[in-house]
Amino acid sequence: MKGGGYPLSEVLPYILTEFQEQKSQMGAMLSFLNSKTREIKFLREVGLVLQTSLDLDEVLSVAMTAITAGKGFGMNRAFLLMTDKERRHIKGYLGVGPKDYEEAWRTWEDLSRSNFTLKELAKNFQKTKLTSEKVKFHDILGLLTVPLSDQGHIFNRALRGKKPILVENALNNPDLDRGLARILGVDCFLVMPLISRNRRIGIIIADNCITHKPITLQDMQSLETFAFPVAFALERASLYERLQEEVAKQKSANLKLREQQELIVKMEKMALVGKITSSIAHSIRNPLMVIGGFARTLLKGSPEDDERRSYLESIVRETRQLEEVLSEVLDYSESLFPVMDLWDLNKLLSNALDELGSALEQTGVICQQELSAELPMVQIDYKQISYCVKTIISTALAAMEKGGELRVETELDGDGVLVRISDSGAALTKKAQDALTAPFFLTQEMGAGVGLSLCKTILERQGSSLSISNRPGGGNTYSIRLTTKKETI
Amino acid sequence: MTTKLLVVDDEANIRLLYAQELSDEGYEVVTAANALEAAEKLQGADFDLVVLDIKLKNESGIELLQRIVKERHTLPVILCTAFSCYKDDFSAWLADGYVVKSSDMTELKDEIKRVLAKRQKAATAAA
Repeated sequence: MKGGGYPLSEVLPYILTEFQEQKSQMGAMLSFLNSKTREIKFLREVGLVLQTSLDLDEVLSVAMTAITAGKGFGMNRAFLLMTDKERRHIKGYLGVGPKDYEEAWRTWEDLSRSNFTLKELAKNFQKTKLTSEKVKFHDILGLLTVPLSDQGHIFNRALRGKKPILVENALNNPDLDRGLARILGVDCFLVMPLISRNRRIGIIIADNCITHKPITLQDMQSLETFAFPVAFALERASLYERLQEEVAKQKSANLKLREQQELIVKMEKMALVGKITSSIAHSIRNPLMVIGGFARTLLKGSPEDDERRSYLESIVRETRQLEEVLSEVLDYSESLFPVMDLWDLNKLLSNALDELGSALEQTGVICQQELSAELPMVQIDYKQISYCVKTIISTALAAMEKGGELRVETELDGDGVLVRISDSGAALTKKAQDALTAPFFLTQEMGAGVGLSLCKTILERQGSSLSISNRPGGGNTYSIRLTTKKETI
Repeated sequence: MTTKLLVVDDEANIRLLYAQELSDEGYEVVTAANALEAAEKLQGADFDLVVLDIKLKNESGIELLQRIVKERHTLPVILCTAFSCYKDDFSAWLADGYVVKSSDMTELKDEIKRVLAKRQKAATAAA
């Protein structure tokens, strides 16, 4: 029946079209609702971490994972820039995302197979990739430093306007600075300011460098919502980090102060020990001189066959021994307080040899000097090093009772000066060498000939060293290495 | 003419020891127990050398040394003391010699000979 049939047949296509349109609108709304639900769920999940974390690395990991993960905002790549401590510059801090297509597909394939939540992804990122990502985008991050005073720069415009700026078609837009697009290698990116309580915290740059998917207004709005908690968490975490740094500085200052106080107490104790030793020494030296001196006088006046001579000889010997102990105690107490200054070592050696002139003459030893003419000044306590040199020369002379050759040499040795004192006496065994220079106070007692041990202790305390070796062709060489310090004019 | 020495030390036994030992060496020895006595004796006679202790009772041998150098700059002084630390004290550099006290007086005797010889040489050169 023409024109008959179903009465609604003519409107049916319209209804169908309308239905399809409604259905598609419903679908779009449903998808919008789904996306919003996901966004809220995601923001809640991320927000919880951001609200509680004081760890800057954790905050960074969560924020950057959220921006780049498919379960988050799904951007291909993101850069975080932060204002420096002095608040003069904004600097590239971290970049996250693939460097090329190959890496992108590999990462996304791995992620699609895993079923991690965003939180787990962020944790994983912090643990395994945070450090390497910083290095990976080192070149780009290095180019992103901008002074906060550069008002015209897009970063500062975004910070000033407190609004994100979406840059599209950057390479062909004469109004835009193309430099940034060239650095990033994309012509469409989003510049998101991070502001917390009116403080400029930093910038996030996000782009789709691999997929080149357009950045929508909706993407921009979602990211803007997300930027607030991120900025707040970043500020809090970096303030906390700075606080920790200050606390650590304070702790180390306190520790140093305590060490200094302990040192002062120690020094005071040592000064007191020095004073007491010196005072005791004075009280003992005078009576010893009288006892030993008169014993010597009596000994001189007594006949050779007088049996009392042996008693007098004992008194002379024992007082001499006590005087030696006394000198060692005094030498040690004086060695506790070195007075460092710059001295000419050759002059010191010549003076020491002059002082020992009569001992040299008595032994009939020939002295050969080979002193380098180009020695720098050495930083030493003159008195103590002079004592060491004289003790070594005396030890060397003692090894040459029947005469011989004493050699005194100096030479430049890298950043130090080497002094070599050699005798031509009997070579010391390794055991004898070790015994001579055994650490002072460890193996020997005062009066047991601590001379060389004390020398070693003195030299080591002044950053120098003493070693003994057998000389080729017989004899021994005592080597002292002293450090030099360049004169500052 | 014998060489005349003035020995200044606050310990009587040490003065006695010096007198004994240095007389044996052929010197004429006069002793003083303190700075005042030393000053008086210096006024009264010509000495060739002074052996001086640094630590005298209630006074410093260094002050006496300064006075001697100021008033009689040609008179040599040897400091003979129980302390070795004064050797590096610039105030002791005024002295012509420095010896640490010891029961073996060889070092002091050697030092006296050295200082006297040096003075003799300087005097001959000046003449």
